[in-house]
Amino acid sequence: MWKADRVDDKGKMDKKEAAEKALREGRSHFEFRPETRRFLLANAVNIAIGIALVIIAWWVVAEAMIAVRGAFFPTPPETFSALWEALGGAKINGATIYFHTRSSLVRWGLGYALALVIGTIAGMAFGTMGRAYDIGMVPVYIVQMIPGMAWVPIAMLIFGLGESATVFIILMTALPPIVINTAGGIRQAPPIYSRVALMSGKDHFSLFAKVLIPAAALPIIDGMRIGLANGWRVLIAAEMVLGTMVGLGATIEDSRYSLDFVSAFVCIIVICLIGLTIEKLLFSGLEGVVRNRLGLEEEG
Amino acid sequence: MIASLENVSKVFTNPRTGKGLVALNDVSMDVGEGDFLCLIGPSGCGKSTTLNLLAGFELPTSGRVMFKGKEIAGPSPERGVVFQEFSLYPWMTVMQNVAFSVSKGRTKEEREALAMKQLELVGLSDFAHARPNELSGGMKQRVAIARALAMDADLLLMDEPFGSLDEQTRRKMDNEVLRLWEGQGKTVVFVTHSIEEALMLGTRILLMSASPGRIDREWKVDTPWPRDPTSPGMVALKKEISRGLQVCSCASGEPKAAFVEVQGADDRPEMEV
Ligand SMILES: Nc1ncnc2c1ncn2[C@@H]1O[C@H](COP(=O)(O)OP(=O)(O)O)[C@@H](O)[C@H]1O
Ligand SMILES: [Mg+2]
Repeated sequence: MWKADRVDDKGKMDKKEAAEKALREGRSHFEFRPETRRFLLANAVNIAIGIALVIIAWWVVAEAMIAVRGAFFPTPPETFSALWEALGGAKINGATIYFHTRSSLVRWGLGYALALVIGTIAGMAFGTMGRAYDIGMVPVYIVQMIPGMAWVPIAMLIFGLGESATVFIILMTALPPIVINTAGGIRQAPPIYSRVALMSGKDHFSLFAKVLIPAAALPIIDGMRIGLANGWRVLIAAEMVLGTMVGLGATIEDSRYSLDFVSAFVCIIVICLIGLTIEKLLFSGLEGVVRNRLGLEEEG
Repeated sequence: MIASLENVSKVFTNPRTGKGLVALNDVSMDVGEGDFLCLIGPSGCGKSTTLNLLAGFELPTSGRVMFKGKEIAGPSPERGVVFQEFSLYPWMTVMQNVAFSVSKGRTKEEREALAMKQLELVGLSDFAHARPNELSGGMKQRVAIARALAMDADLLLMDEPFGSLDEQTRRKMDNEVLRLWEGQGKTVVFVTHSIEEALMLGTRILLMSASPGRIDREWKVDTPWPRDPTSPGMVALKKEISRGLQVCSCASGEPKAAFVEVQGADDRPEMEV
């Protein structure tokens, strides 16, 4: 009697059979189909055009500034050749680009790791307790409204000049989206998910770990991603309060005094590249994996 | 008698306006051991509320909801629910969904073996490792039934479980529920808004009406299964129930609800409605 029903599910079964056939024949069923390859190629071309547009706009502005104001303005060729030299080991602002990048990444990683731990714990607590949410979200929204640069004097008053102040600024800008999304994601989990767990006699820990967290996984990842970008973008502000002038942000800040604008542009490009890499590779990949684990993608 | 509502009223209070909505007004009913009790009525008359009270998801504003002689204080694995909307966790496989609800205190292997047995019972053992999004609507509800069975609950509460399925699939599912009920000696409370479905399944049919929600009438159906919906007795009963449904105040048009002022927005205000 049940068997007849399966006719309805023919579409689904065909896909599964195709995958099984592919496995039997020893090829991966994730293999790119021609349409997929064409799509990826078109995508790559579009991205290349987009990047070219940015570089052209930059170049036009640079030449215009040089012509109109008679001032110096780094052009793309100047900048890219400086970038090439920097990658070859030439020192800018007293250190190699690798040293600057590593210092920046360590600070930012530290601030972000703190934001992750504090933000996820606070978000989970707020998400499950109504009163804590109503009260706790008020300071979170206030903190969120404070622009990155505005943290500089606050950080200096609390920590003085140095690493702690820098980490603090990154923490404060990365924290709010993590808390907001974690708490919001848990609160928005369909009530029926909790009901199923409760009727099955699950305790609150299982309800939390096996149901609420997976149900909120996508908003939580989104919060982590926004927090990450926030922290990265505030890097310059954060490194302004550093005593020692190392780091990508510090080098950009330093160009105001040293007038070494080409180095500043090199650092801007490195910051963009790292940000894009993390955003597009790490987070898009992570989201894809989680979507799949959550059973949200058609391909099972 | 396995479960009962004793003079139960349920008022939902809007925290902003302080107004209360009377979903159930002084409802009393018994669920006998082995009953296949169908709750029927227009939408908004309190069928889901009644089921949620029996499940323990909601507590009554006044009156008592009893299960096996004890007052219900919350959800329990003794009472399995099959929900109207799809309720499987999309991140778990079919098997994991069912095994999740097997009562604790056993090993993982035992839980999975038990889950597998229930999946065989509903004809879905081939799909044990599929994800819910790979299943059709009917199959999803069958998994939900397998899950309720895996809980080994004595009372199965089903809230319009096949409401979103097409007519043909729904009939097939109805027959399967009947087969499982006959085979396992469970007690079932089955909510539906379809008179035909109630007639095909129930040993008892309770008609509810709204504004405020209450139980209007009850029919006992002794006809053995499979039932013939075109037999004279069935046709006559169907007419009678349809008439009852039309008499009820909100059968046509928008469901109306009774509003009351609730003094002191307490959780369980003492009140006469
Ligand atoms: N959690 C709730 N909060 C407020 N009102 C509710 C709630 N649940 C149900 N109601 C109201 O109670 C009445 C009965 O609802 P319900 O039991 O779902 O009816 P049915 O299942 O028969 O369609 C409706 O007017 C509905 O709007
Ligand atoms: Mg309902």
